[in-house]
Amino acid sequence: MSKNISRRDFLKLATAGAATTAVLTGCGPASRYVVREPYMEMPEYTYNGLSTYYATTCRECAAGCGLIVRTMQGRAIKVEGNASNPVNLGKTCARGQATLHGLYNPDRVEKPTKQGRSATLTNDPVLWDDALQIVADALNNTKLSEIAFLLGTAPDHLFDLVSDLASAIGAPAPVRFGALSMFDSRATLSKASENILGQAGLPFFDLANADVVLSFGANFLETWLSPVAYTRGFAKMRRGNPKRRGHFIQFESRMSQTAAKADEWIPLLPGTEGLVALALGRLVAEAKGGAIPRAFASVNVDEVVTRSGVSLEQLEHIAALVAQAQAPLAIPGGQALGQSNGLQTAEAVIALNALTENLGKPGGVFLSPLAPNEDAYHRPASAQEMTDFIAKMKNGGVKVLFVHGVNPVFELPKSFGFDEALGSVPLVISFATFPDETALASDYIFPDHHGLESWGYQRPATGTMQPMLSGAQPVVVPSFDTRATADVLIAAAQLAGGKLAEALPFKDEVDFIQGKLASLVGQADGSFSAPEINTFTAYFQQHGGWWRNSQEETAPSAASALGKSLHLDAAEFAGEGEFFFLPFVSPTLGEAGANKPWLQELPDPTTTVMWNTWLEMNPETAHELHIENDDVVRIVSEAGEVEAPVYLYPAIRPDVVAMPFGQGHTAYGRFAAGRGSNPADVLGLHFNEAGDLAFAGMKVKIEPTGRTQPLSRLESRIGVYGEGLGEEH
Amino acid sequence: MVRKIIEWVISPMGRIAALITALSLFSLAAYGIYQTQQPPEQPIEFTHKLHVGLGIQCLYCHPGALRGPSPGLPTQNKCWGCHQQIAKTFESEKLAVLVEHIQNNEPIKWVPVAQVPDFVHFTHRPHIAAGLNCENCHGDMTQVEIAENPQVMNMGWCLTCHKARAGDDEEKLIKLTDCGTCHY
Repeated sequence: MSKNISRRDFLKLATAGAATTAVLTGCGPASRYVVREPYMEMPEYTYNGLSTYYATTCRECAAGCGLIVRTMQGRAIKVEGNASNPVNLGKTCARGQATLHGLYNPDRVEKPTKQGRSATLTNDPVLWDDALQIVADALNNTKLSEIAFLLGTAPDHLFDLVSDLASAIGAPAPVRFGALSMFDSRATLSKASENILGQAGLPFFDLANADVVLSFGANFLETWLSPVAYTRGFAKMRRGNPKRRGHFIQFESRMSQTAAKADEWIPLLPGTEGLVALALGRLVAEAKGGAIPRAFASVNVDEVVTRSGVSLEQLEHIAALVAQAQAPLAIPGGQALGQSNGLQTAEAVIALNALTENLGKPGGVFLSPLAPNEDAYHRPASAQEMTDFIAKMKNGGVKVLFVHGVNPVFELPKSFGFDEALGSVPLVISFATFPDETALASDYIFPDHHGLESWGYQRPATGTMQPMLSGAQPVVVPSFDTRATADVLIAAAQLAGGKLAEALPFKDEVDFIQGKLASLVGQADGSFSAPEINTFTAYFQQHGGWWRNSQEETAPSAASALGKSLHLDAAEFAGEGEFFFLPFVSPTLGEAGANKPWLQELPDPTTTVMWNTWLEMNPETAHELHIENDDVVRIVSEAGEVEAPVYLYPAIRPDVVAMPFGQGHTAYGRFAAGRGSNPADVLGLHFNEAGDLAFAGMKVKIEPTGRTQPLSRLESRIGVYGEGLGEEH
Repeated sequence: MVRKIIEWVISPMGRIAALITALSLFSLAAYGIYQTQQPPEQPIEFTHKLHVGLGIQCLYCHPGALRGPSPGLPTQNKCWGCHQQIAKTFESEKLAVLVEHIQNNEPIKWVPVAQVPDFVHFTHRPHIAAGLNCENCHGDMTQVEIAENPQVMNMGWCLTCHKARAGDDEEKLIKLTDCGTCHY
C-alpha cells in the first residue's frame, strides 16, 4: 500500500482484529484448564466440582445469626445468612461476612503454647496430652472457690458446660462479659425491664410493625444487641407495608449510622434522654386526654426544654406523632443508658411504651422468650460485677483463671485494672484462637477452634419472638492443631477423675451437645421433629438449629409500669474537661474485628475513614480551637489519656467529641496491632444504678499535639464544608 | 479508505494474499478446534480400560451420578484402598505417581473431561433415572485408555437423543426440548 493509514483507521482495524481474536479464542472449552482435587477422604455427600453448604452460627458477636457457609474442595469460600433462622432470616452483617478472615487469618494460634505472659506469641509448643494434664491438675489442686471461668457474652454450649461443671463441683459460676455487652448496657435493660415490665431479661422491640419509632440512643442498625434482626425489622417498618412508611426519630448527640437513617435526628444534650422521654410522656398523656399517670406526673416540660436543648415545638410535634400513632415504639439504648442516670432513663423510655399501651402487641415491646432448653435468663456480667471480679483477682481470691471468647485486657477500660490484677492470679489459661492481649498475658494458650470449625449451639438473647437454639457445626476440617475447649474440659475432667469426672461424664463435646438437645426431641410446634435424638441431631445440623414455629407472645403487664412516679436525676459527668466524650462501637469492626482486613478496609458508614481511629469534632469547635482535619489531638480525662487524629464532623454537637471503639490493639495480629487508639483508655470507673459502665459519662479536655496523621478516607479530601480546600482560619 | 482496501484485495497480489490469509486462518482454526477436542493430559495415566475391564462399577468411583449434577471423582483413599494391596503399585513407574501423592497427602489434580459449558446445567440424576446406562453417552469404557469423550458432547447430540426418547409423547417432547430445561 502506498498511502499511510490514518490513526483512526488503524484503531478501527486493530479493534476489529482484537474482537475477532477474542471471539476465536473463546471457541475452545475453557473448562479444560479446570482441575478437580478430590480429598484424601471425602464425606459421602460431597461431590467434586460442586460446593457443599453447611448451616452454622456466626460467632462474631452474641446475636446468634444463622449462616450458610459455602465450601469448595474443603475450603470455606463464602458466608451467607441462613434463610430459615428466625433471628436474621438470611441476612448477615459485615462482621459475619468477614468471619472467613478470622478462619484463614495468618496470625492464628496454631498449637497449644506455653506463653508465659510474654509480650509476643512464644510459639513454645506444649503437647495436647500435657495441656490436658495442666488443666486437670489446675482443677484438682485448687480450692474450688478460687477457680474462675471468664467467658464471652454469647450464652453458648460452652457456657452451659462450664455452668454445669461449676455447679457440680461447687466452683463459682462462670462470668460472661464482652465489650459489646458493656456498650449495650445489658444489665440496665434487664433491670429496667424487671422494674417496669415485671420480668428481668432483654426486651424485644418489634420494629417491623411499628409506625412511629423513637430511639433514645439505641444504635440498632449498627451493633446494638441484635443488629441484623433489628435492621431487618427496620427495613420492614420502612418498606414492608405498602400503605404506610414508618417514621423514625433518633435522639443522639452525634449522628450515628442509625441516626443518619432517621427522619428526624435530635442532637440533645447528653444525659437528658430520660428527661425528654418523661416530657414526651406527659405531652402524649395530655394530648390523649384523661388523667396523667403517676409516672409522668412530676415532670416539668419547660425545665426539660431548657436542660435538654430540645425546643417545645419539637417536643409537641413528636408528642402529637406519638399520640396519633397506632404502634409508637420507644427504644432505650446506647449512650442514653451509658450515663449515671442510665437506669432511670431506660425506665422512662420503657414506660413511654406502657403509656401508649404498646406492650405485647405488634409494633410494641415484648419480653424476649427463653430458649427451649433454658431455665432462666442468665445475663452477662455488668461492669460493676466485673470490678468485683477483678477485686477478687487482686485479693488473691482467684488462683486459676480460664479465659475464653473475651479479651478483657483490651475490652475493659484500663482504669479497671484487669491487666494488673492478672499479676495476682498464679495460673492464667487462655483458650483464645488469636494472639490477643489477654492471650499473650496468659501462662498457657490452649487454642480453641475457630467458630467455623466448631460444633455447638447458641441461644440468641434477643432478635426474635420464636424460642430457639441456633446450631453450629464445622464447615471445614480444623486447619491447625487446635482443640474445642469443651473437648479439652471434658477430657481434663476425665483425667482428673473423682467429682470432676462425674460432673462431665461425656465422651466428647458432641456427646454433651446431644445430651442438651435431648429435651427438645419431644417438643411440639418445632421447625422440625424427629423420633429420637440421633435423627434430631442430624436435622439440627442440617437446618442450623431448632426453633418453635409460633412466636411466644409474652405480653408484659402495663399496670405496674405507670403506677410509680418516675424521676430523673441529672446525669453526672466525671472530669473537668469541656467536652462530652462519646465512645461508640465501630459499626464496621465491632469489638473484635480489627484483625480482619476486610473490616479494616470497610469505610465507616458516616465518616468513610478506614484503617484507623479518629476523633469526631464539630467543625465550629475545631475552628475555635484552631484544629484542622488530621491534626492529632490528645484526649485527656480524669482516668487517662489517648491520642487520635481529628475528623471534622458537622453532624455532632459542638460540645461533644466522639471516638470509635475497636482499634488500639497492642497485639491481636499484624492487621490490628499498633493501629489506632482505644477510647476505653480514658473511661473511668463510673457506673449507673444497674451496674453498667457510664461510658458516655466522661468529660474530656482536648489538647493539640502539633502532629498530623492523615486519615485514609474514601470520601473526598475536600470535606463536607470545603475544609480540605485549605481555607484560612 | 475501505474502498482502497477493496481495490487492493481485488488486484492479483491482493487475491493471492487473501487466499494465503484465508488458508492460514482456516488451518489455524482447524488446529485450534482439533486441540480442544483432544483428551487433556492427566496427572496419572489412569486407564479406564483396565479398571472397568476388571469389573469395577462406574458408580463405585463416580457416586454422584446417581444423586445429582456432578458425578464426583474418587478420593485418594478409594484408590489406595485397593492399590495398597496390589504388589504392582510399589513396582510400577506409572503408579509411583499415585504412591507419591498418597504419601505426601496431596490431592490428585484430575482434569475433568466430559465437560459442558457453564450455561448448560447438566444433571446426571434424571438421565440415570430414565434408565440410561453410562456407556450410552460415555462410550464403552472397556476400550478407553486415558479418559476421553467418544463423541463431541454438543447440543445437537443431546437433542437427538432427547427427541428420540420422547417418541410420540408430545408433552415429553416439549419438556425435553424446551430451552429452560437445560439453560435455566
